[in-house]
Amino acid sequence: MHDVWLIARREYIERIRTRGFLITTVLIPIIMGGFIFGSSFLGSKVSSESHIAIVSSDLQPALDLQDELERPRLSDGASGPRMTVDVMGAGQETRAILDRELDSGDLDGYLWIAPAATPGAPPAFTFTPRSGDEQSLRNSLASAIDRVLLRERMARQGMAGADLDAMLQPVQIATVHAPHRVDREAAEVSVTVLFFLMYMVIMLYGMNVARSIIEEKTSRIFEVLLATIRPEEMMAGKIIGVGSVGLTQVAIWITAGLLLMSSAMAPHLGGQPLHFALTVPQIVYFFVYFLLGYLFYSSIAAALGAMTNSEQELQQLNLFLVLPLAFCFIALRAVLINPDSSFSRSLALVPPFTPLLMYVRVTLGHPAPWEVALSLALTSASIYAIIWVTSRIYRVGVLMYGKRPNLPELLRWLRYS
Amino acid sequence: MPIVQLQNVRKVYDTKVAVEDLSFAIQPGTMFGLLGPNGSGKTSSIRMMIGITAPDSGAVSLFDRPFHRSMLARVGYLPEERGLYKKMRVLDQLVFLGQLHGLSAAEASKRARLWCERLNIAEAIPKKTEDLSKGMQQKIQFIAAVLHEPDLIIMDEPFTGLDPVNAALLMDTLGDLRREGRAVLFSTHRMDQVEKMCDNIALIHRGLLVLSGSMRDVKSSYPRNRVVIQFEGSEGFLSHPSIETKKRYNGHAEIKLRPSATLADDAQSLLSEALRHARITRFEVMEPTLEEIFIEKVGEATPKNGSAIFEPESEEERAGELVDA
Repeated sequence: MHDVWLIARREYIERIRTRGFLITTVLIPIIMGGFIFGSSFLGSKVSSESHIAIVSSDLQPALDLQDELERPRLSDGASGPRMTVDVMGAGQETRAILDRELDSGDLDGYLWIAPAATPGAPPAFTFTPRSGDEQSLRNSLASAIDRVLLRERMARQGMAGADLDAMLQPVQIATVHAPHRVDREAAEVSVTVLFFLMYMVIMLYGMNVARSIIEEKTSRIFEVLLATIRPEEMMAGKIIGVGSVGLTQVAIWITAGLLLMSSAMAPHLGGQPLHFALTVPQIVYFFVYFLLGYLFYSSIAAALGAMTNSEQELQQLNLFLVLPLAFCFIALRAVLINPDSSFSRSLALVPPFTPLLMYVRVTLGHPAPWEVALSLALTSASIYAIIWVTSRIYRVGVLMYGKRPNLPELLRWLRYS
Repeated sequence: MPIVQLQNVRKVYDTKVAVEDLSFAIQPGTMFGLLGPNGSGKTSSIRMMIGITAPDSGAVSLFDRPFHRSMLARVGYLPEERGLYKKMRVLDQLVFLGQLHGLSAAEASKRARLWCERLNIAEAIPKKTEDLSKGMQQKIQFIAAVLHEPDLIIMDEPFTGLDPVNAALLMDTLGDLRREGRAVLFSTHRMDQVEKMCDNIALIHRGLLVLSGSMRDVKSSYPRNRVVIQFEGSEGFLSHPSIETKKRYNGHAEIKLRPSATLADDAQSLLSEALRHARITRFEVMEPTLEEIFIEKVGEATPKNGSAIFEPESEEERAGELVDA
């Protein structure tokens, strides 16, 4: 045990001291923060300003629509989307002019109102957006048209203007959270952030384990080490040492993140304050599943490192590491939307996916206690099995140089000892 | 009480017999030379002494007891393939390796400094290993092998890659360690070094022991039929009838005498013949050199293909598997 500790400590100290550690510690949050703020910034940019034109031979409905669209909606708040609307009559050149303006980017789209063929029927609306992807614009247009048509019909049936306004006032739903229940949206944000964190750190440090084994193979130091300690101790020390570096990094990030959120700076960081709600059990679950995930993937990485002789060879094999992680990534959306669906429930029990997906379920869904227990047991058991296999590959592979072993050779390695 | 004892050790890798029925023992305070061409099983034998691999049959004992990993703290090992952590500072590296052998950090640091001074590399202490010259790195590795004052020092090709001054320094240091009562085993191809330093030798070829014993016994089992002459003048004496083969260099001749019951007399008659032709500055009658014995023994064992002596060993063949001890 003392030797494992020595190996782990050396690995830890040497890694913490490197410039690479400092750089990733600083850069990764900046990149992730950049993504989050960048996308929310872009999102607000897109929806906040749009300029459309309404073409109609009958000006009254067009003006009503303009009024409806330009009025800031209460439910959107002060920062809601704003719209500038031009109203014009239909002329010969109108469509050509509007199309030109669409091309030049002055206009985000135009709505063409054709009078109804039969009296009493609603007119025909045709919307031509600048790009195909104007879902939010189309939505606000549709609801505005609905309101205008409704208002018109009601007015025709003799309802007074004030009554109409009161009736059409959108309903406000106030959300009050029960005590100890985190607001779901905020939890989703924190879980996504932590999911990415886990994903990146497991990937990064799993590869680091493999790389550090290859480095030891190329520097040939392990032969000196093997003259005093067992290969299993070497491997354990490496996984613990490299993993502690990852844990340190995550701890730094989380502490910095919490400090930042609780400080007065938080509201100034984004347009709206970013909720980052974490409860203590969530943080505990995060570390538990993070550890399991790290152990699972880094033992696989250790086996890959022991089987290969160079970084290039490792690249060819790191599919085994990347594929299951990437799958978790793809499945994340589905699990986020419905953490308690049978799909999510069964997937979260499959060991390679448990650390990431069960963690999401535990924070957002309502897994039964037996599910949590089973996921922990299954993952621990498979980690044990993987370490068993890996340490056999490792003890042979670490002394093996030359060509990469093929599958029959690998199976033979497992039978040794 | 032997420090190391191998008894009828056999080791087979997948398809290749690495060591077959190998037995020898090393006594404390002696220097033991393990000789053999590349791929003959030297490294495999050494690896079995330090538990990196275990023999398939036969027994390895360390310090008069069956091998156990706990004894490894008393063994120092310099592998043939040198390896140090490149990015690590020299002192940290030595302290780390010392700690693995059971030293405290403070003690390891103190000894590391003393050893660096002893081997004239004190200026390397604060540097990173990758910034050092190859020779310096080798000295660091040497220190790592002896820092914990092991009773058994195993060095696989310790002098390759060193300049003559540093090779001599390490040889002297190994001599000092032997005088302190430690057992030193080293493997090498350099027969002149073995001849100068070793008390006992074992020559293995293709996994088999072909020659072993004390240096003196091995040499004296061969007739003193070699003559080295240094001369100025005519080399007419080289046609003397007692000469079987000869190698002629400028003012220097190495002669093998014809087998005979009266070798000593033949040598004297050769000397007087030589004196008639030339001015002799050196005349030495001796046993064959270890190198000649080596080539002869290895050549015998490979009757058809004499050039196989220095065949490069393939990388895969050296791979070993590990077995718990």
